[in-house]
Amino acid sequence: MSAERITRSAEQTSAVACDLARSLVAGDVVLLSGDLGAGKTAFVKGLALGLGVAPEDVSSPTFALLHEYTGGRLTIHHADLYRLAPEEVDDLGLDELAESGGVLAIEWPDRLTRPWERAVDVTLTHAGETTRRIRITDGRNR
Amino acid sequence: MPFTMLGVETSCDETSAALVSETGDPSHPWRIHANVVASQVALHREWGGVVPELASRQHLRDICRVVEAAFTEAGLTLDDVGGVAVTEGPGLVGSLLVGVSFAKSLAFARGLPLVGVHHLAGHIESIVLEHGEMLLPAVVLVVSGGHTSLYRVDSPGSYVRLGRTRDDAAGEAFDKVAKLIGLGYPGGPAIDRLARQGHERAIRFPKLRLTHADRNAPDLPGTLDFSFSGLKTAVLRHVTARVVALGLEGPGALPEGECADIAASFQWAVVDTLVDRLMQAAAAEGAASLGIAGGVSANSRLRSLATERAGAAGLPLSIPSLALSTDNAAMIAAAGLRRLRAGHVSGWDLNAHATLAL
Repeated sequence: MSAERITRSAEQTSAVACDLARSLVAGDVVLLSGDLGAGKTAFVKGLALGLGVAPEDVSSPTFALLHEYTGGRLTIHHADLYRLAPEEVDDLGLDELAESGGVLAIEWPDRLTRPWERAVDVTLTHAGETTRRIRITDGRNR
Repeated sequence: MPFTMLGVETSCDETSAALVSETGDPSHPWRIHANVVASQVALHREWGGVVPELASRQHLRDICRVVEAAFTEAGLTLDDVGGVAVTEGPGLVGSLLVGVSFAKSLAFARGLPLVGVHHLAGHIESIVLEHGEMLLPAVVLVVSGGHTSLYRVDSPGSYVRLGRTRDDAAGEAFDKVAKLIGLGYPGGPAIDRLARQGHERAIRFPKLRLTHADRNAPDLPGTLDFSFSGLKTAVLRHVTARVVALGLEGPGALPEGECADIAASFQWAVVDTLVDRLMQAAAAEGAASLGIAGGVSANSRLRSLATERAGAAGLPLSIPSLALSTDNAAMIAAAGLRRLRAGHVSGWDLNAHATLAL
């Protein structure tokens, strides 16, 4: 299943994510691909909003590699592989995190050593100053 | 022998151990005997290349020799230590656990008080460690690769958050923009150097305007928050447009003068925003003094602009030297001494917390 949306602001991008969040259950993985500034972190803010987690707690985990947001319907594990080499990604323990309950959102999944099966694939593309094309491919087989 | 604290810090990339003792002087309460940091950069050099392991394993490998090096440098032994302070969060749990487990074991075996410390409390106390107690209330900007936050310190050891970044940390924006224009890692010092050859006003990158609260969090006043994602995107758009206009293969082929202008203009936008927020907070909170801590405080333009504006406002400004700005254990030992003297001792169930609130 695949769908495409055009958004005209970071808030609209968050709103798309907020819709997606309603369908998320424990163990779901959301992969977020897109260039710098495409709206990956804004998308996670929307997931937070949809899951009842305070969106202001969400910020870029590029430096910390992992953020965890609690207090909502599901815990969000927010990973960012931007500064990792593929051989380092395995040491992050993403498999265990995905199985620990909650939702796992992964920015820069191109650093993964193998494709993640049964994930929700979200690709954000610049289509203007604040306009973004968002393609969501749901591989969860439900 | 004055009371001496062993500090341990493993929250992110650096493994660090330090010995800090009390001076007995209330205005300048602590003295550093040793502050040893094994950064990944140094390790990569020592091991002759990049080590394909994540921080937690490097911490595990390095923690003992880093602690031993601190004792050797200080000329002290375990018998001289009165307590153990350790970063309990925030950070990577796997990394934090190495420090927490080490500190807990050592403190338990030696019958010493154990003190868990918040990483950002350490950064704030790094200012006091180097420059002595701040005039209170103080407003402190903590700005690094992972954090960009403003705090008010009303009394020693009390920290009230006034603002934080809503997306990227300032240091992260430096790293990402540096990569965009083909500079090496870490990006902060590289941009700082290149910016000296460029013009700050050559390109008018959009300055942060957060006049309203976050639409996703309308209950927060939000006016002292930061946002650097939009600026990063503006630099990307500018670079992409220039590459197309000049018919280049990629951003790496941009003329050096243009890169210098981009670096200078970007740096100006970040630094101007940081100092604006700091001064706004100072005015709103009636600050008696100002501080800047964290790795980005080493940025020369941030230092000069903050010094200039603080001076114009008649406020003393303290910024620690580079060794205490970047992640280190001396600041953790200092913050641990602060907590211990306020009566806080952690239990043996002390744990690592990825998301610890200050």
